[in-house]
Amino acid sequence: MLNKYTCLEKLHAVRTDEIVVSMMSNAMPWAALSDGPLDFASVDTSMGHGADFALGVAMAQPHRRVIALNGDGSMLMCLGTLVTMAQYRAENFTLIILENGTYEVTGSQPVPGAGTVDYAAIARGAGIENVCSLTNDSEFDAALQQHVSGVGPQVFVWKIEPTDEGIPRPTLPIKERTERLRTALQET
Amino acid sequence: MNTLSTSALIDAFRDQGVTHVVGVPDNGSRRLFEVLWETDDIEVILVSREGEAFGLATGLHVGGSTPLVVIQNTGLLEAGDAFRGTPYNMRIPLVMLIGYRGFGGHREGGGRIDTAATFLEPTLDAWRIPYVFADPADIKAQLSQAFDTAKSTSLPSAVLLTMHTE
Repeated sequence: MLNKYTCLEKLHAVRTDEIVVSMMSNAMPWAALSDGPLDFASVDTSMGHGADFALGVAMAQPHRRVIALNGDGSMLMCLGTLVTMAQYRAENFTLIILENGTYEVTGSQPVPGAGTVDYAAIARGAGIENVCSLTNDSEFDAALQQHVSGVGPQVFVWKIEPTDEGIPRPTLPIKERTERLRTALQET
Repeated sequence: MNTLSTSALIDAFRDQGVTHVVGVPDNGSRRLFEVLWETDDIEVILVSREGEAFGLATGLHVGGSTPLVVIQNTGLLEAGDAFRGTPYNMRIPLVMLIGYRGFGGHREGGGRIDTAATFLEPTLDAWRIPYVFADPADIKAQLSQAFDTAKSTSLPSAVLLTMHTE
């Protein structure tokens, strides 16, 4: 199993100017590493729709990499996004599914199908070709650079240990976070 | 039955700089989608469920595009939290075309009660979505007004399709 915090630190180390959309239990750990204009915490939005939001940004910004940090609970709420990813093939889009089997921020209740759902198989079945499931540090390190440079649409499933992350509290209200990202994209 | 000209509608989209139509077709919008699929300058993005349309269109807008959502009233009802959490909370001036399934029976005494129709306008009012009814004779001005309303409030607005596109 992978450690979420270690994986995020490694991703942060190779990240340059990519847009990173974080969600739910990933939002505050990512914000602790980076909380600039190109970091968007999809919190106070709608659970399950951070990935499709990120895909929309990627489609509108085809020359810029967009990385979505999705939880397994959020992914289950909008599996259709995988089909849309496969159909419209944004080469600049990386979806990471952090699979811990729980709704972490509400007390770590199990998600439906915890431990039995195969997210990589679902992604492949949706029509996405570049899919990789990562279960240990050596696999993760070997695939790390691909997260920011591989041809999308691509999906990485991080098999992570459950942690005890509380309710995310971003530093800015949602309206200001949105405006900050939009302004940053207009300026670059 | 009245119909709405697809070519007039697409011209109205172009006037507003629409880059993407995101949504799910229904009987009323069927012809619109068929023509859009043959159109080069406006990209159609089909989604599996209407909530996804709101998230994706919001991302497109933040990324600098001008999306327009086309869904049926049934889909709007399904997509409540996605609407609330993405274009509404994120203050996106997103224009929607919403198919008014059941309009004939609901407004014109057609006999059959379709709760997709009876729920629609109260829901739009409750969700604070300003709306107009599509008028074939005035659709360009109506689209322009819907975009103006959305931009002036930084919130979504809607045009209701009570007739089929042709």
